Amino acid sequence: MTPPLDRALIHIVDDDEALRRSLVFLLDSVGWRTQAHTSAEAFLAAYQPGDPGCLVLDIRMPGMSGLELQQVLRAQGRTLPIIFITGHGDVSLAVQAMKQEACDFLEKPFRDQVLLDAVTQAVRRSCRELAAERRHDQAHALLERLSPREREVALRVAHGLPNKLIARELDISEKTVHVHRQHVMEKTHTGSAAELARLMLRADPADLD
Amino acid sequence: MSTASVRGHHRRILFLAVLVAVLARPPAAHAQAAPPVRIGVLAFLGVEVALSTWSPLVAHIEASLPARRVVLTYYDVAGLRQAVQQQALDFVITNSGQYAALESEFGVSRIATLESPGVPSPSQAIGSAVIVRADRRDLNVLADLKGERVAAVGEDAFGGFQVAWREFRRQGVEPGDFARLDFVGFPMPRIVTAVARGQVDAGIVRACLLEDLARDGAIRLADFKVLSPRQVEGFACGLSSDLYPDWPLATLRHTDLHLAKAVATALLSMPVSPTGYAWTVPADYQAVHELFRDLQIGPYAYLRETTLQALARRYWPFLLLFFAALAGWIVHAVRVEQQVHARTAALRQALAQRDAAEAGMRAHQEQFDHLSRLSILGELSGTLAHELNQPLAAIANYAQSLVRRLDSGRYTPAILAEASREIAAQAARAGGIVHRIRAFARKRAAVRERRPLAELVREAAALFGGMLPGAPRIDIADRLPPGTLVEADTLQVEQVLLNLLKNAADAMQDLPPAERAIDVTLEQAGHHYRIAIRDQGVGLAPASTQHLFEPFFTTKPDGMGLGLSICKTIVEAHGGRLWAEAHADAPGMTFIFTLPADDPTT
Repeated sequence: MTPPLDRALIHIVDDDEALRRSLVFLLDSVGWRTQAHTSAEAFLAAYQPGDPGCLVLDIRMPGMSGLELQQVLRAQGRTLPIIFITGHGDVSLAVQAMKQEACDFLEKPFRDQVLLDAVTQAVRRSCRELAAERRHDQAHALLERLSPREREVALRVAHGLPNKLIARELDISEKTVHVHRQHVMEKTHTGSAAELARLMLRADPADLD
Repeated sequence: MSTASVRGHHRRILFLAVLVAVLARPPAAHAQAAPPVRIGVLAFLGVEVALSTWSPLVAHIEASLPARRVVLTYYDVAGLRQAVQQQALDFVITNSGQYAALESEFGVSRIATLESPGVPSPSQAIGSAVIVRADRRDLNVLADLKGERVAAVGEDAFGGFQVAWREFRRQGVEPGDFARLDFVGFPMPRIVTAVARGQVDAGIVRACLLEDLARDGAIRLADFKVLSPRQVEGFACGLSSDLYPDWPLATLRHTDLHLAKAVATALLSMPVSPTGYAWTVPADYQAVHELFRDLQIGPYAYLRETTLQALARRYWPFLLLFFAALAGWIVHAVRVEQQVHARTAALRQALAQRDAAEAGMRAHQEQFDHLSRLSILGELSGTLAHELNQPLAAIANYAQSLVRRLDSGRYTPAILAEASREIAAQAARAGGIVHRIRAFARKRAAVRERRPLAELVREAAALFGGMLPGAPRIDIADRLPPGTLVEADTLQVEQVLLNLLKNAADAMQDLPPAERAIDVTLEQAGHHYRIAIRDQGVGLAPASTQHLFEPFFTTKPDGMGLGLSICKTIVEAHGGRLWAEAHADAPGMTFIFTLPADDPTT
């Protein structure tokens, strides 16, 4: 399920051309695939979600700042991990970035190993998150196949209710419940109530509340 | 009015748009309804031209200062003066002539001067060329224009008239000596056309206009010649006059000091624009004041009225009465005469007071400049650290990658060449930044004057005491012969003294206030005067003393490590030395610098 590291794409966003190129050079020296962007806006225009990777992001740029880009990505529900780089050891910026779940916060100039480690960590996190996302999407897609009535039945099956009780709650015959239940199991490729419950939790952790 | 051509003006605006890119790195500020930043600009080509060219600037500034809205307003000379008078602005950008007038009248204070390409320095940027047709063999110097027809832009044009006027006066020619003096207004190239067609004999234009027009193919340089031509090293254009400072950006008296510092810092740490423009430390506009004083115009128009004339004009009723009374009552006449005497004395006194007030204002201005230089250097350190970090980080990345690639075999000659080129380019960039910082100390053209050394030291000590609340006691032991003079750039030496005093005070921060004391000793040592500044502070590790004067070496948590390195540059430029000594048997350090002894025979 976990995507391989070599499919990862490292995005570099820095308005300083020399620094941007040097980061590409550095990451390329250990074999990472890279894509460089001159601004936060340019990154947003070019970014294609789906592949694992991370974002190496300058915090101070003309136009949209690094922190603002982080907020935009969060608002769009993107999980791409972010490594901030900054010229100033600005504590308040670092705190804000980490509160917004930045992966790392590096002060320029930094040792190459520090950045490379941070990138590896971030890509691993990205892979984990992507795999989780994929499982979530798959579960979601399976459950989408259910009709509204089947969904009502599935929810009660997952809660462990016997057919008799389900029939009473939904005011239908026990035989009808049985048919629905069979359809649910077929459509979701599950074999037991426990398996169905796991699938539903994966699709939406709040589903069984 | 201004001297810049339309083209120069456009380049300047382009450049100002670049400046905004620098302003566009504000700390992440929380947008609040702060009052707008109001900048007034002299728009000598009319508001329509200015509006279309400056509106991108407004958009940029607003984007870059999210907490502050920016309002840019365009004025002609009169309008800008009125806006300054009514305090309707926070900053003004105008030509040097109007700046000097606003400085005298309303106390506006420059925080940066434009640094244009192709001129020797920002203090020597603007001049006039008096041009005639090349075939006029009879016209060679300015004095030859007596009885000739002359065209200029306008009476209040700085480089377009006033600068040349001063040179005419130096050669004994007044505007009244011309057969005709036409003020034709902008655009300035109209004057060149009039000269070429023989409609006038000579034209006054800003220096470099001819060269600009020739480069555009509008004229041939060989068709014209410049009267009383002079050579200034680093100035490539035909020139008939002295050179004066470039356009400044100035704050008003009421402008918030933090805002002024933020803007000044942004301007000064800005890289040079692609067209070669930059902002630099404010130039000395004294030359412009001297011009106005010579011509008795602008802030010095009152000089045209001699004291006696003014007396007669103001007191003619008394004089009349005096004569009437003389005819009648001798006793009465004597009384009136006494009255006139008293009033004359009062008038003289008033004039003297005005002169003194003016001198006081100038001294105050210099002091202010001085303090702002010191504090701006401090402010700059954060920005400069950021600027320096960029190339350093790039260099580090390339160098570390190279090692990595050499280890892993992931390299080709092309890759090695690319990385080496980048490293060299980024090292040059870092060097350029360091160069700018070093240039900060010697930006002003060196002005050497003879001053009593002890007086200079006492002034610096007094200034320091005023600068720093709770400053330590400073004892000055003057062991020099009374009235010993030193030949030095007073401002720079004062800057060295202030820096050393500040260091001494910083070193004693942890002592109880009563024990904090700085001893300054002045004595002669051979052909040098020796100024020793001793503190009772924490002292320094011997390893530290070796690096003390290197740029960016610092032992202070918030220091930039530039103060002593700049001091050393200044002292050595004066032919002296600066060093530090630890005390074997006592706490604290002594910083000593020498200045060459004054030789009265030279």
